[in-house]
Amino acid sequence: MSADAALAEAQAALAGHAPLPRDESNLVFEEPWQGRALGMGVVALERAGASWAEFRVHLVAAIRRRPQRPGESAATAYYAAWLDALEALLAERGLLPPEA
Amino acid sequence: MTEDPKAGAHQPRQASDVELRARALEALLVSKGLVATDAVDAVIELYEHEVGPHNGARVVARAWADPAYRERLLADGTEAVAELGIAGAEGDNLVAVANTPAVHNVIVCTLCSCYPWPVLGLPPSWYKSLAYRARVVAEPRAVLGEFGLELPGDVEVRVWDSSAEVRYLVVPMRPDGTDGWDERRLAALVTRDCMVGTAVPRVPRGASP
Repeated sequence: MSADAALAEAQAALAGHAPLPRDESNLVFEEPWQGRALGMGVVALERAGASWAEFRVHLVAAIRRRPQRPGESAATAYYAAWLDALEALLAERGLLPPEA
Repeated sequence: MTEDPKAGAHQPRQASDVELRARALEALLVSKGLVATDAVDAVIELYEHEVGPHNGARVVARAWADPAYRERLLADGTEAVAELGIAGAEGDNLVAVANTPAVHNVIVCTLCSCYPWPVLGLPPSWYKSLAYRARVVAEPRAVLGEFGLELPGDVEVRVWDSSAEVRYLVVPMRPDGTDGWDERRLAALVTRDCMVGTAVPRVPRGASP
């Protein structure tokens, strides 16, 4: 699947549950690592053959476990949870050691 | 990008814990063969530069400049945007609808938030709001008025309800005073809202002919 199609799918799957941070018209990345986190997700999910719906379950759980902290922006909190979710999904599939 | 105001402009910013964690995870995924750095770069490149309303603006500008292209666009939107190198999952059934002096088009997705993503980028939050979705069908003129778009009374307003199968793109009318403009200059007039139908292109005051 092309990257733009994968990204479109991500948008659709996460909307309403754990939507990507954005302003009126664009995705919001306050720092480059946040964009890389999203990019890693797109690439790794495709490589793992995992769906965005599956990822979403992990992401929603990760956001619940790690809510936004004082002094932290919403996008930082979101992408921090994103990293947790990506790690958890890949560990569940045996592609990463647990608690890597 | 947040910068510590105390840090000099040329000093590297101290990486936060979460940023370090992102780097560590990427290194791990690369070492496990799960991601390639250049593949991640390609995704980032895509959402930073390639996806966005400017894809749609290029399409509209071409249609304004080239009547044959306009015909192809209105006949088969998907094929016509593919000609310009634009493709994507949601562009698969793209229908372009042209505004005329007698008809103004506006798009909505009454069920959810279907949107011509590859040409317009990400939908604005209002597009997904229940208020817009419900009201634009029932009272389109009132909704357009709230966007600052007052249409003459004899203009018919057509509302196009998008779905997973069909996405619409509004082709606005080329504004007066743009004769001889090249496509690049024309494209700059075409905003996202013009292609949703909640605005029309305007030539900035004082623009040189």
